[in-house]
Amino acid sequence: MASQPGTPTGHPLLDAALPGGGWAAGEMTELLTDCAGQGEMSLLLPLLQHASRNDGWLVWVAPPHIPGISALSAAGVHTSRLLLVRADTAGERAWSLRQALHSGACTAVVGWLEKIDMAALRRLQLAVREAAIPLILFRPTRDARLASPAAVRLMLSASAPGVLRVDVLKRRGPPVSQPIHLQPTRSGARLPSGLPRATPSHVTTSPAAALIA
Amino acid sequence: MLWLALVFPDWPLQALFRNQAHAHPLAVASGQQVLAVDAAALAQGVRSGQGLADALAIAPALLVRPRSRAAEHSALREAAGCTLRYTPRVALEADGLLLEIAGSTRLFGGLDSLQQRVHDDLAGAGFKAHGACAPTPRAAYWLARGTPGRCIDGIDNLPAALAPLPVSVMEAGTRLHDLLADSGLRTLGSVMQLPRDALARRDASTVRQLIDQALGRLPDPRTCFEAPRRMDSRLELPVPRHDTDVLLFAANRLFNACCSQLSAVHAGIESCRLELEHEHHPPTSLTLMLGTPSCDARRMVLLAREHLARLTLPEAVSALRFQADDWIHLAGRSDDLFGRQAPSPAQRLEACALLVERLSARLGRDKIHALSACADHRPERAQQVVEPGQGRCATAHARRPLWLLSPPQELQVINGQPWRNGPLQRISGPERIESGWWDSDDTASLGDALRDYFVAQGMACERLWIYREHAQPHRWYLHGLFA
Repeated sequence: MASQPGTPTGHPLLDAALPGGGWAAGEMTELLTDCAGQGEMSLLLPLLQHASRNDGWLVWVAPPHIPGISALSAAGVHTSRLLLVRADTAGERAWSLRQALHSGACTAVVGWLEKIDMAALRRLQLAVREAAIPLILFRPTRDARLASPAAVRLMLSASAPGVLRVDVLKRRGPPVSQPIHLQPTRSGARLPSGLPRATPSHVTTSPAAALIA
Repeated sequence: MLWLALVFPDWPLQALFRNQAHAHPLAVASGQQVLAVDAAALAQGVRSGQGLADALAIAPALLVRPRSRAAEHSALREAAGCTLRYTPRVALEADGLLLEIAGSTRLFGGLDSLQQRVHDDLAGAGFKAHGACAPTPRAAYWLARGTPGRCIDGIDNLPAALAPLPVSVMEAGTRLHDLLADSGLRTLGSVMQLPRDALARRDASTVRQLIDQALGRLPDPRTCFEAPRRMDSRLELPVPRHDTDVLLFAANRLFNACCSQLSAVHAGIESCRLELEHEHHPPTSLTLMLGTPSCDARRMVLLAREHLARLTLPEAVSALRFQADDWIHLAGRSDDLFGRQAPSPAQRLEACALLVERLSARLGRDKIHALSACADHRPERAQQVVEPGQGRCATAHARRPLWLLSPPQELQVINGQPWRNGPLQRISGPERIESGWWDSDDTASLGDALRDYFVAQGMACERLWIYREHAQPHRWYLHGLFA
């Protein structure tokens, strides 16, 4: 399984750290993050773009907000393949993820989990191995101390404006001690150049309100 | 011609309960006489033909149900439907079926393999049958009743094969059976040895006629069964039950019977109804939407399981009823030459529809949706929630965030500066979005939006999409996150 090539993340540094050189199909990948808006989703855009080219659903289980389809289209994702599942309880979320994996009708599955027990995770791990598609789970950072059967666990945080810090908590192979710093929107593989850059030099310190007068 | 006769032992019992596993001894009675008993009752000493009072004295826990001719009638039709895929010529008997299989044996890999498949299909629908083959329908039927498992292939071998059978295998009526018994005739062989006019003189020419038909000397025409357009089957539970597993097991029998019939006519159904009958309440009705026309019983069971998991039953279920109308003819599909390959596009589409149906069956139809683009400048209106599969791709707009908040969240303003756990810093903007004056008189609608959008940075280095209203009092809102 580990030798199967993954879908590149669009960041060579991160690809080098991931077994298979990207998001692995048939494996569970956990992204631990607490704060939305730091560029965590743009890491997945190349994967989503790649997956949406094939027939089948791109299932998102319990996304925290509404996906903006203009931005997804800008990254080349066919948004008509998107299937959004609203599930409120942890049980329903795990069940929906498992159904999506078992169905043979999905090209990639992304889930947002608040809390989940080890048994449910193991079942997901078994299901994803059989389905041989990528499964990405977003979990809160407090779950980092809990054990998980995921093949890859990445802790995401912002280290500076526009810079995403990735700590590889778990992977196959030797551990990675150094965090990886990425600029998600800058090198975001196939993003067109029109996207505003969030580099420190662009940040003005004047109050936003004062600029409008 | 080769006829396969299938006889259902203890038919009054089978027709009602379809061999469901249960712990109680069970019997079906007509009036005061026991007609059929199950294995548990048999073990306790109850026999068919006994008086009801005797049977209850032997086994006080015996559950007795009255015989239902209507149930037998419809169950026999259902069983016939299950066998229709093996031959179009299926005839109904009182407690069995006659299948003309000379043309089908080769297709299904020989007589043994064909019989095995027929028995498997019947077992899936909950029926257990004894079978026998013979060149004439009547001989096959008598053999199935007398010595199940026999297969006679030449018409010349028939007299020898039928001779040892007891006269009770004949469907001749009680009067004639009594007459034969009084004459000391026990086997068909002894009847066959009588001079031809001896029976006619005793007003028993029917017997001679039946035997001639069995031996192929007289024609024996049969009407072929045709599958009904509408399916309606019912199954009783020996004891009212609550548990999903028991209900699913019983429902599976009905689904299997339906799907065998459907595959015989190369058709599928898009939806069906499963009614759970209670003793004191109106029935609970489940509607299973299959997504695409299908004749796959497994799919129905999966959906029924999700529905049952969500359902709270008012009372234990005493019987199940399955109804489906409106078949849809399915286009034929060829198998792969090299066995199972990657799923075809059609199979993939079917799997996609099934996933949506399964998720909506459990979570509710409103919980599963897709997004579709609309031509509108206002970000709230640029996309809308639609049924899965009806989404249209959006036009690319790179300066839009990946997450949208609905509705936009109002931001605090401290010292004239928008605030979210701290002051927000501008990264780019403003971008003015104004449109929608055309539906501003409708109070429910969004109306005219006049906004200046900014990309801002929050305290945790998150990038936000915020806007300031153009109109007084110039409130600030958080509308999206650049994730």
